[in-house]
Amino acid sequence: MSKTILIVDDSSSLRTVVGLALKGAGYEVIEGCDGKDALAKLDGRKIHLVISDVNMPNMDGISFVKQMKTLPAYKFTPVIMLTTESGADKMNAGKEAGVKAWVVKPFQPQQMLQAVQKLILP
Amino acid sequence: MSIEAGLQAFIDEARELLQQMEAILLDAETAQADAEVMNALFRTVHTIKGSAGLFALDAVVAFTHEVENVLDQVRGGTLALSDTLASVLLRCHDHLEAMIAALGRGGQMPDEAAGAALLSELHAHAALSPSQAARTAPAQTAPATADPEQHDWLLYLGLSGDLLHHGIDPAALLRYLASQIRIVQVLPLPQNWHGTGGFDPEHNYLHFALHLQGNTSREQLLDVFEFAREGSCILACPVAEASPYLQAIAAETPPDMLAAASTAWQQLGWSPQVQAAPRQEEPEASGTPVAAENGPATVKKSKPAEKSGESHFLRVEAEKLDTLINLIGELVIAGAAGNLLAKQAGSSSLLEWSQGISNLIEQIRTGALSMRMVQVGEIFNRFPRVVRDVAKELGKQIELKISGADAELDKSMVEKLGDPLMHIVRNAIDHGIEPAEVRLARGKPAQGTVQLNAYHESGSIVIEVSDDGGGLNRHRILQKAVDRGLISADAQLAEQEIYALIFEPGFSTAEQITNISGRGVGMDVVRRSIEQLRGMITIESELEVGTVFRIRLPLTLAIIDGFMVKVAESVFVVPLEAVVECVELPPEMHPDDSSNCLNLRNELLPLLRLATFFDLKPSTSDKRNVVVLQIGDRKVGLVVDVLLGEFQTVIKPLGDLFRSLKAIGGSTILGNGQVALILDVNELVQYVVMRESARYGLEKDRDPQLAALPGK
Repeated sequence: MSKTILIVDDSSSLRTVVGLALKGAGYEVIEGCDGKDALAKLDGRKIHLVISDVNMPNMDGISFVKQMKTLPAYKFTPVIMLTTESGADKMNAGKEAGVKAWVVKPFQPQQMLQAVQKLILP
Repeated sequence: MSIEAGLQAFIDEARELLQQMEAILLDAETAQADAEVMNALFRTVHTIKGSAGLFALDAVVAFTHEVENVLDQVRGGTLALSDTLASVLLRCHDHLEAMIAALGRGGQMPDEAAGAALLSELHAHAALSPSQAARTAPAQTAPATADPEQHDWLLYLGLSGDLLHHGIDPAALLRYLASQIRIVQVLPLPQNWHGTGGFDPEHNYLHFALHLQGNTSREQLLDVFEFAREGSCILACPVAEASPYLQAIAAETPPDMLAAASTAWQQLGWSPQVQAAPRQEEPEASGTPVAAENGPATVKKSKPAEKSGESHFLRVEAEKLDTLINLIGELVIAGAAGNLLAKQAGSSSLLEWSQGISNLIEQIRTGALSMRMVQVGEIFNRFPRVVRDVAKELGKQIELKISGADAELDKSMVEKLGDPLMHIVRNAIDHGIEPAEVRLARGKPAQGTVQLNAYHESGSIVIEVSDDGGGLNRHRILQKAVDRGLISADAQLAEQEIYALIFEPGFSTAEQITNISGRGVGMDVVRRSIEQLRGMITIESELEVGTVFRIRLPLTLAIIDGFMVKVAESVFVVPLEAVVECVELPPEMHPDDSSNCLNLRNELLPLLRLATFFDLKPSTSDKRNVVVLQIGDRKVGLVVDVLLGEFQTVIKPLGDLFRSLKAIGGSTILGNGQVALILDVNELVQYVVMRESARYGLEKDRDPQLAALPGK
């Protein structure tokens, strides 16, 4: 069974394109359009990796990760956070929330695929 | 789903975001925006940049990057969103919009120089220091050398103990490494666990030493472990350079790591030429532990439910909706046929069933049509920007007031209404609102007001554009019309007819043609576009007080509630929205040559005899009815034979051959297959007004029924 990745971003085109790259590499992909939506999408299912933007409406990425990590099933789920050069201050907040992996936006789909492969294989 | 579809999604999304950006910027100019709004502003550009990168749209990324930097400062409060900065940002928005539009049609990107000029202007405002614009490079734990010629590499992975807490699996990292380079040997090195009790399965007790073979560089190797680097000590070097490398990093590397690496590498077959740093006993060998917060003690307060227009919508292709509405139109007709059959069969249970179906169809119809309904606000929203730009260009102070933006009308009309409205608003600012000196001299505030208003009135939607400017000068309009040969010099016209002259092709009274209005697209085009939508436009104006342009439109173009009447053998449909009441015609008025007016509760009601008007065979029935129609403030009575009642009417447009027919707006098919003509109420009312005007001649201006629109 292929591994499932949850992409959380308020940009549907980003989700689409990253999703395409990941599906092409053999991952299952589900999408969440903001933190709140993503929490709902977890729904107890096995998620092998989360890719989340930081700045999103309704619930930002860091609050989302913090909440997700309180759920036992997702305590050890690796998270790739999308950041920007201007978001350096957010990285500290993210580190506190338990995020180790950061990918700087803008990125090419291939870059994201490599980052994912470092953490989980399909 | 393909990349192309993704790109289309990006374009749609970018357009939406740009709209948001514009709205926020325009708002911010008038009201002091709060932090959340500024964050939303930042996010619009931020999201466009992030997504643009995916499609390798470097020009968009480069441009948005600069804008984003400035917006970040605004968001952080280090830079105030001044009027001038907002102006520059709005122009940046325009440039971005042009870029996205170019993407949409696959055309040439807008001039780069223009973008660069905008950016330098932006920087001048933001006084962006290089440090803020600079990229924060990821910190390197070890000095890096790039030498892709090296073949044999040594690697030491002093992995952090809390790695597993962050979901990072050392095995996955090694597997990924194996996909990049040949691993000759892996040496697992247990750390800090002495085989007795206290084993924490969530703790990483393993370090690794590896011998690799292949063309790589230190950066490439370290890059594999970029997510595991924090709190870990990762050393990599070509076998041949191991000794100088260990010495070089001795100062900044924990000594125990150096020792462990040296020992492990020796086990992999490396022989040091110079002994590494002296060993030290250090119980905490797993690098610098990082305080990891496993569960947040306090969940960060999430933002209050925001009402920033980010609601859940389903995007549906307009075409699909049109197909659905067409089908529902057919269903309405088929339902009517069923209803008729049930009546003919005389079976009450069949009739009841057919009524039930009719009710459902009506609900479906209403639902489907409401899906096409959009708020007028969709058009109004672009006006703050237009008014602001035009006002600045003309050096006038204009306040735009918008009300009734939530009134709904058919989507297809919204699209066609934009340009005419734009023209009227530009005209109002350019010709309507006087220069500030004139205004002050007239005792008005220096700041002019343009108001957009929309409301529903008896089944139609009315859109008003009003200004408190100079008003229309009737004498000048008349003079101009005579000069242009539109009317004869001795023509006697009612107030409304004079105003209507400005809609004639080639009419312009502006003393000087500015580049705002008076450039080709005249008011005649405005009237034509409104009439194409089965609407009408009227003007109300008072000299030195202001002007109101009032556009009246039907709510929808597809299916209407009709009122069916019969004249001789023909069936006609009147839009129900125009019907006020029905009364019986007194028998003494039956002959066609009798009076053309009816005294309706002491109000004079001009009559139109449909049989005469359409030249139909005179009816033999001894009963006639009057359908009282109202358009705006005018009432007209239609004399018909039989009232057939309400009827859901699917409008079938008339063919090109009948395009020039007056007073017929379309046709519809009845349940029995018969065709009924839909009356164009506007034209009928106009006709009656003309007829009465001709009859009363000069007195018409004093006739309360036929005079120009009375004051509010």
